Amino acid sequence: MIDIKRLLESNPAVDGWRITEKATASYELFFVHKELETVRATDTVDTGVTVYVDHDGKKGDSTFAVYQSMTEADIKKKIDAAVRRARLVFNEPYTLPQGGTLEAALPTNMAEEEPKALACRIADAVFAADTLTGGSINACEIFLYRDTLHVTNSRGVDKTQRMHRVMIEAIPTYTTDKESVELYEDHRFTSFDPARVTAEIAARMQEVKDRSLAVKPQTPMTVHVVLRPQEIRELLCNLADDARYAAVYSHANLHKLGDDLQPGGDGDKLTLTLKGILPGCERSSYFDADGLALRDTCLIRNGVVESYYGSSRFGQYLGIQEPSGDLPSCLSVAPGTLREAEIKSAPYLECASLSGLQVDLYNDYIGGEIRLAYLWDGQKKTPVTGISMSGKLSEALSSLRLSEKTTVEGAYEGPEKMLLRNMAVL
Amino acid sequence: MPFSAYLNGKRDDCAALVQALSAHFRYVSVLGTDVHAAVIRADRKSSAVQDGRGECGFVVKMHDGQSFFEYSLDDISGDPEALAARILQAVQVDARLQGRMISAEVLKDEPLRQDFVREVDFADFSDEELLGVCRELSETLLKKDAHVLNAIAMVQPYLVSKLFVTQNRQLTQHYGWANGYLMVVYNDGRMVQARHVEGADQLREIIANLKAHTDSVIDLARHLTRATPIEPGVYDVITDSSISGLIAHEAFGHGVEMDQFVKDRALAKQFMGQYVASPITNMHDGAAATHSVASYFFDDDGVLAHDTQIIRDGILVAGLSDLASAAQLGTAPTGNGRRDSYKRKAYSRMTNTFFESGKDKLEDMIASVKHGYMLFETNNGMEDPKNWQIQCTAEYGIEIVDGKLTDHYVSPVVMSGSVPELLKSISMVSDGFQVIGSGMCGKGYKEWVRVSDGGPNLKVRVKLG
Repeated sequence: MIDIKRLLESNPAVDGWRITEKATASYELFFVHKELETVRATDTVDTGVTVYVDHDGKKGDSTFAVYQSMTEADIKKKIDAAVRRARLVFNEPYTLPQGGTLEAALPTNMAEEEPKALACRIADAVFAADTLTGGSINACEIFLYRDTLHVTNSRGVDKTQRMHRVMIEAIPTYTTDKESVELYEDHRFTSFDPARVTAEIAARMQEVKDRSLAVKPQTPMTVHVVLRPQEIRELLCNLADDARYAAVYSHANLHKLGDDLQPGGDGDKLTLTLKGILPGCERSSYFDADGLALRDTCLIRNGVVESYYGSSRFGQYLGIQEPSGDLPSCLSVAPGTLREAEIKSAPYLECASLSGLQVDLYNDYIGGEIRLAYLWDGQKKTPVTGISMSGKLSEALSSLRLSEKTTVEGAYEGPEKMLLRNMAVL
Repeated sequence: MPFSAYLNGKRDDCAALVQALSAHFRYVSVLGTDVHAAVIRADRKSSAVQDGRGECGFVVKMHDGQSFFEYSLDDISGDPEALAARILQAVQVDARLQGRMISAEVLKDEPLRQDFVREVDFADFSDEELLGVCRELSETLLKKDAHVLNAIAMVQPYLVSKLFVTQNRQLTQHYGWANGYLMVVYNDGRMVQARHVEGADQLREIIANLKAHTDSVIDLARHLTRATPIEPGVYDVITDSSISGLIAHEAFGHGVEMDQFVKDRALAKQFMGQYVASPITNMHDGAAATHSVASYFFDDDGVLAHDTQIIRDGILVAGLSDLASAAQLGTAPTGNGRRDSYKRKAYSRMTNTFFESGKDKLEDMIASVKHGYMLFETNNGMEDPKNWQIQCTAEYGIEIVDGKLTDHYVSPVVMSGSVPELLKSISMVSDGFQVIGSGMCGKGYKEWVRVSDGGPNLKVRVKLG
């Protein structure tokens, strides 16, 4: 093992440095129907080195990758090249995070079990949902990862974080005499709960059956649209991205501190917090790429932009005393007041599967192609497909409603449902 | 710039590992990758010169006459027998799954030893020169209009070296590609972003084209500030090459990736030999089909690049396969086995995907539209190969009234609907042709590879919202 730290410290032109090492071991199973097509394993390390050079009253930096193939002489040359590159960069001065050691593991129940046995148990949990007559899981990919992330820098940061995480991609399919339909589904977790995996995929199996029964409703229509957690998160991630220190610094953010995102609305006011750690979420982290400890930050409170967030460097540029750290997109949303009975008091369309929610802050747009939704006409729910919905984002935000009932799913904790009023459906 | 000296020095190690593992498997290959990327960027307040997303490592693929096994690692040096033992241990399967392995044909290992090189001009430009170009572009854009809040100029060259070794085959390839970007943040009371993207294997060409587009990107920003949402409806639409390519990619490209055939995940499997598009429609994919970002010489399974005609005169005639899916389907692989990196599995993936040119003049196509839109610039898209629904988003559209382009811009524009309805609605195909080599394509929501797509202008009838 080459001592990169020693090479950096022995180069007088280097004023500061950061080394990020991520070691990943994986075990992966790829099923075609219920048969095993491919077994994979990986054992790799990604190493990134950032060199900082103070020059001409400015600060330059440059990052390079270190490969296992490199010799000590190769790395010395890369450091010299990075110094040259950093001298070309004239950024405003900033300081690197100072000090702090950590040796932590994110909570998991998967640390002790041998990967091949655990992968087999996960496969069992997936295929236990494959019991619906006419239904099948046509493909399933299971990825088990063990990550060790280590960040050190020239100012004494030395932090290590270990994580066990799983990603399952399962494709529930339903086949009739006339056609065969599918829905895409992925599950990501850091602790394995077989019953939850089976239940979630079984629910998706039922939905794919509904897709086979789905009809194209009479269009165009204007109707309330109900979003579920995945799409709620997608929508709110757009608002969160707009609040990055870097976006503010580069004049690219639309909403400023104190802006009311829901003016004049009579809906539920939005309170959105970014968190470093969400239970069971693979995006969770104790620190960011600079090794800065993450501080949970409320970005929007009662519909008003309250804070920005981001890395130490851009935080310093904005004069932030204690930057939040570059928080992962783990979203926590305060519950609203909407109850199921109220949702059902008027016709609505509940989206179960979209091609992808399209949100455009600049053009004040929200929309998407709906692969499966349930249309409630006041008396009965009908599965529908072949439609798309759209509306003005500002109007949708102003009048949105959030359910009282909450859930935790992946990188989201908050209301189970969001109701957007009077969307155009075609 | 030559082929990677590092990989060149690993030929014998790869061959030794293949030999060691051949005692346990009926087919063994090793793919070595050494990819170097750079990002040079400047905006109003900051700049960067650093490595981009590169990779350097190896992936070993094994087949035992039943299933496939793969192992990814950073370095292949050392005792090949010990490494083979480590790999065998790592890819073991739990006893309860051993009765559930597939059975696929043994892969052919046809002899070939060849080195492929395509030269680029990247070495002619220093970091300093490229950063200077980016700074100049950013400053030029900022000076053009006081409403420009920020202007970002970026160049991203990358160089690929790959080594592929089996018992009978030893291939190397070395090529490069670069992308260039301009983006302005513009606010004249309404804030918008406007972009321009370039792709080529010569930096000289990219720099010249970026310089030539500074006026047009500002002009686009000015128009976008006045853009309105589109009234949802079904319209006659003329596509630019980028949107034609997006349709090719999302509508049928993903639908004919044959690993989806194996999983019964693609409706196209049942439509081989049938009309799926209007009879004036012809569509291709292939690393050898045109010269763009995905024009490699052999794929990540060591299969030489192809030009595959997917749709001929409206009839679906062929799909795209990697080695594993071709083995399971009993077909010949088409050179479409691609990996996100050496750390990831090879899947059937698109390369350069496009419609063939037709005979119509663009001006005649626009003149034929009573009321509709011309759509420009891909934003994103999403496939649905099983159910043939698509969603494609264009950055903007321009309204056509009585056969003439107006000054009315709409943005964004989401095109959605049924794939066969869309493709069968193609009524005119222009004689122009452009392939845009700046795209990244995922499979589902992962496995990103560089792709291009494009073609001529198309006239279609489609739902916009």
